Amino acid sequence: MTSVISISNLAKHYQVPEREAGLAAAAKGLFKRTYKTVKAVDGISFEIQPGEVVGFLGPNGAGKTTTLKMLSGLLHPTEGELSVLGYQPAKRNHDYLRRITLVMGNRNQLSWDLPALDSFDLQRAIYGIPMDEFKRTRDEFIELLDLKDLVQKPVRNLSLGERMKMEIVGALLHKPKILFLDEPTLGLDVTMQKRIRSFIAEYNKRYDATVLLTSHYMADVEALCKRVIVIHHGQLLFDGNLSSLKEKFSAFKTISFDIDNPTQDFSQFGDVIAMDGLHVTLRVPKEKTSAVTTQLLSQLAVDDLTVESTPIEDVIESVFSVKKEAME
Amino acid sequence: MTGIKLAFNYLRIGIMNEFQYRANLYIQILQTFIALGTGLIGLNLVFAQTSQLGGWGKADLLAVMGVFTMTGGFIRAAIQPNMERLMEEIREGTLDYALTKPADSQLLVSVREFRLWQLVDVLTGAIVVIIALVQLNWLMDIWSVLGFFSALVMGGLMVYCFWLIITSTAFWFVRVHEIANLFEGLYAAGRWPVDIYPNWLRYGLTFLVPVAFAVTVPASAITGRLTFETWLGALALTVTLFIIARTIWLIGVKNYSGASA
Repeated sequence: MTSVISISNLAKHYQVPEREAGLAAAAKGLFKRTYKTVKAVDGISFEIQPGEVVGFLGPNGAGKTTTLKMLSGLLHPTEGELSVLGYQPAKRNHDYLRRITLVMGNRNQLSWDLPALDSFDLQRAIYGIPMDEFKRTRDEFIELLDLKDLVQKPVRNLSLGERMKMEIVGALLHKPKILFLDEPTLGLDVTMQKRIRSFIAEYNKRYDATVLLTSHYMADVEALCKRVIVIHHGQLLFDGNLSSLKEKFSAFKTISFDIDNPTQDFSQFGDVIAMDGLHVTLRVPKEKTSAVTTQLLSQLAVDDLTVESTPIEDVIESVFSVKKEAME
Repeated sequence: MTGIKLAFNYLRIGIMNEFQYRANLYIQILQTFIALGTGLIGLNLVFAQTSQLGGWGKADLLAVMGVFTMTGGFIRAAIQPNMERLMEEIREGTLDYALTKPADSQLLVSVREFRLWQLVDVLTGAIVVIIALVQLNWLMDIWSVLGFFSALVMGGLMVYCFWLIITSTAFWFVRVHEIANLFEGLYAAGRWPVDIYPNWLRYGLTFLVPVAFAVTVPASAITGRLTFETWLGALALTVTLFIIARTIWLIGVKNYSGASA
């Protein structure tokens, strides 16, 4: 199978004016500016196959948005090769733009004062979608996201979550083959997140679309993505299955249990993460889990002991804290 | 063709948007009449002292004022709001959505906004022009009419190009609101025919800020003053400005990096 997205040694460097704080430095900047090169993306490579849903992870400023912007043709790469569906995104070929969509959770494109239906019409005009096809797709999405009663209300009267659902409908009316989703669930409550997630999954299945998704909510990633790509400081840290990411980086497990004597000291068994009245949570290295469990059960009177894998958030955090050298 | 369809769709959305704010219509009517009223008082004051101003009589100057009002209304209805939104989007890095659409980016950013109620000025200005023509005992002449409308279209295009050039500099300078405000001040000079100004100002208003072409030239056409040479000059300047504006726009878009999310 040939990849739909192919990136090799992609880099984006910015020249950012730099100066010291203060008035004198600001005045000096009027005449002579010093620039610093910021390597937002610094030589990453990966391939994505048709129909894949890939989670694109990294802390703030890792270079995720920059990469998505290069993929959607907004930024010209400084170095490297970039090909999506056989197109070079930076050329912003109209045939290419018709096959992709970019959704940014923190920005909206629907007309604020008008019902979403009117904005959808505008999308139809921009993408030149035939009327009957447009109506079919629109109604299908409205049905899937349960928006029937809302499409006629002015967008400004909708809740954040409802608005995001509308945004997504608007962004997908032309049935793009590739979706670049930058924090599509940002700021939404859990139910709404779930709703949007299942819609993305459904869209991926129905139209065999490829999805590259960034999100700070690991639940999004766990629900949608088998594969994750982790970047940090513009460099690739990990590319593989979500499960193997967990396997590789969850060096710890958490053990929690109830006790009857709150004065006991548990630090000899592991890191005490929480001690809430009579409930204790410990973090122990993975390989010591069974030994510690046995000790706890035999030496102390503990109840309701459970062992859990580290939550994915913590796993990701430990990935970021690992030095790149250590990865190799 | 798709471009016209797209512009029409945006126009439709813009009009629907404006219907939500009916109060704006009344405010606009009030503004138009205040502006027109002060303009007329000024005109009367001048003509209480003299009967000619740089070769223009009172009725001629009424026609200039009519064109000034019409063109100003059009600029505020269709050009200025689009350019202001564009400036804002360049500054905040939210131009991304416009640039990921399969349509010509310049066309798209130029047709997204429309302030319907500003057309009150266009209508009022047209009525003033007609009154001026009646006072001049104007006889219908196909060349004057064609000259007038073509000069209006070219004037509008030149002002659009001027605005787009200024706005595109936001790709490099980020804050250009002040420069844009300057336009309004300079446009106010178009209330009088540019012939009455000293040479340096006249050239400035003609070639730097094409106020002369937006107001004086159409008014010259309808009052039978326009020469074929001036008309050709207007055409040449329109084409030149359009090419410059287009080039700067394309370079700017290439340069645009969008404020990071």
